[in-house]
Amino acid sequence: MASISIRNLVKRYGNFTVIPDLNLEIADHEFVVFVGPSGCGKSTLLRIIAGLEPITSGDIYIGDKRVNGVQAAQRDIAMVFQDYALYPHMRVYDNMSFALELRGTPKAEIDARVKRAAALLHIEPYLDRKPKELSGGQRQRVAMGRAIVRNPKAFLFDEPLSNLDAKLRGQVRAEIKALSQQLMTTMVFVTHDQIEAMTMADRIVVLQSGTIQQYDTPETVYERPANQFVAGFIGSPAMNFFPVAWREERATLSQGGAVVPVDGETASHLRQAGSAVIGIRPEHFAVAAATADGIAINVKLVEPLGSDTLIHFDLAGVSAIARVDPSLRPKVGDRLGLRPQPGKTHLFDAANGQVLR
Amino acid sequence: MTDAANTDRWIRWLNLVQLVLAGVIIMAPTVWMVLSSFKPSFEVTAYPPTLIFTPTLDNYVELTKTTPFMSYAVNSLIVTVGSTALGLLFGIPAAFAVSWTRISWPAILTLAARMAPGTLFLLPWYVMFRQVGMIGSYTALILSHAVITLPIVIWVLLPSFDGIPRSVFEAAQVDGCGVTRILWRIALPLVASGVAVSAILAFVFSWNYFLFALVLSNGDTKTLIAAAFNFIGEGSTQWGALMAAATLIALPPLVLAALVQRWLVSGLTLGAVKG
Repeated sequence: MASISIRNLVKRYGNFTVIPDLNLEIADHEFVVFVGPSGCGKSTLLRIIAGLEPITSGDIYIGDKRVNGVQAAQRDIAMVFQDYALYPHMRVYDNMSFALELRGTPKAEIDARVKRAAALLHIEPYLDRKPKELSGGQRQRVAMGRAIVRNPKAFLFDEPLSNLDAKLRGQVRAEIKALSQQLMTTMVFVTHDQIEAMTMADRIVVLQSGTIQQYDTPETVYERPANQFVAGFIGSPAMNFFPVAWREERATLSQGGAVVPVDGETASHLRQAGSAVIGIRPEHFAVAAATADGIAINVKLVEPLGSDTLIHFDLAGVSAIARVDPSLRPKVGDRLGLRPQPGKTHLFDAANGQVLR
Repeated sequence: MTDAANTDRWIRWLNLVQLVLAGVIIMAPTVWMVLSSFKPSFEVTAYPPTLIFTPTLDNYVELTKTTPFMSYAVNSLIVTVGSTALGLLFGIPAAFAVSWTRISWPAILTLAARMAPGTLFLLPWYVMFRQVGMIGSYTALILSHAVITLPIVIWVLLPSFDGIPRSVFEAAQVDGCGVTRILWRIALPLVASGVAVSAILAFVFSWNYFLFALVLSNGDTKTLIAAAFNFIGEGSTQWGALMAAATLIALPPLVLAALVQRWLVSGLTLGAVKG
């Protein structure tokens, strides 16, 4: 078990800079999730920690040891790959025992550790099978088992759930979370799925173009996004953004001029900025009793999800979504009044996207 | 019958004709050679050729009586097995290194060497081997035949190594393997059929290669194929014995290919389609 420290990391491929300058501290026992869109550098960062990718400059520490030039084999980390990367010619048992065998661990101890990990992951019946004889979920467990038996300083996961179906993904997600609490080991998990990030992480690193946009707890990232990118990336459906201006002592939509009812703090920031982008999550709209009490919208599309209903509408030239109570039973073409819930709006600088409130 | 059905029927017929034609072109000389080896010597060159004849082993008997056929066969075996082993010994790590580093020029260089005419190498080799007193030695023949076997091993194995997902190698790195161990413990077992195919092809090509043995061997190390050349004389040619020799020379590669034909096809297409 160990902390991971990344200092002034730069990664370039030729003239192309993937990570311009990155600093990150991951505490011992912490479960950190790297999340971001494709090409944001999250997998590259994970591979750099693993020692599979050389760095251009900067320093990587695992525990107290600087590991810049240290081979992956000597970093004492375990990694679970997106495609599981099991050794096809070896039985499950051999896949799991291989790393221990290389380290010269006594046979009896290897056997005990493999069987303990197999029991933990419920893969004991498959120990004699080859990977091709297993389902996707079982292979995923074997890949985790291979990592667990090592008892490494840190676990690295590179989008390990992306090849599983939705139901299995949810199940394995919960299992990994439970496992992290049981093993008490530092874990770094890469995903492009913000639900995985939110549900599993102690802290989330939101990345864009190799730069950390925000590094905080899931609650903070959701409730107080650092900028418009984070606000739009975290949350499903994504946050709605509307350009607004302060006119006649009121927040009004830049296009169409509809008045947006906002709380005092948002109003004060908007007054100061003159114009900005207001962000409202779909779940933070309330349906006004009368259309005139809110922003009038026409329902364009209805998506009943059972627990709640999503309504799609166009406002100020933007396609937007609101999550409403299913008992409302909205229909396409209905005219509704929507109000942002007090204290739940976000205000971003129109020029650089940084949060104003 | 619809147009589409008619077209299908035509395509089936054309396929059949093509197959028969290709079969005849490929098999006719082989059948001719085998049949001739069992004909009495006066019938071998008879015109028109006889298809019905009393088979005899006279040509084979004459072959073994008049030539040290078995020692030529042993020579061929030594050179072929030696050069195949040498090709595998250097070709497997070379193919893996090219696949691992994605630096392809060494592989292209070996291919160029394979495609170059043998005479290009022959003169420098003759001079070099003569200077170190190795003309007529098995070593000289094995080393020269490695020019044939090495490119085959590299080029058959390259797609096989390329076909292994990179993450499998990376998992092995994280597990504690160095590059050499990755090759022997992970990569090699996964390309076993490719190795077998490359070994068979290298064996066949080396067995059949004529030029180097003709110049670099001596009476003691002459290979079968070079020795068979002696049957073609200036005044008279022993056609019957020559056919018997050719049949025996062709036997090992043909038997080998027939035994592993299924493996051969799967091994040659290895890496072409990701499983």
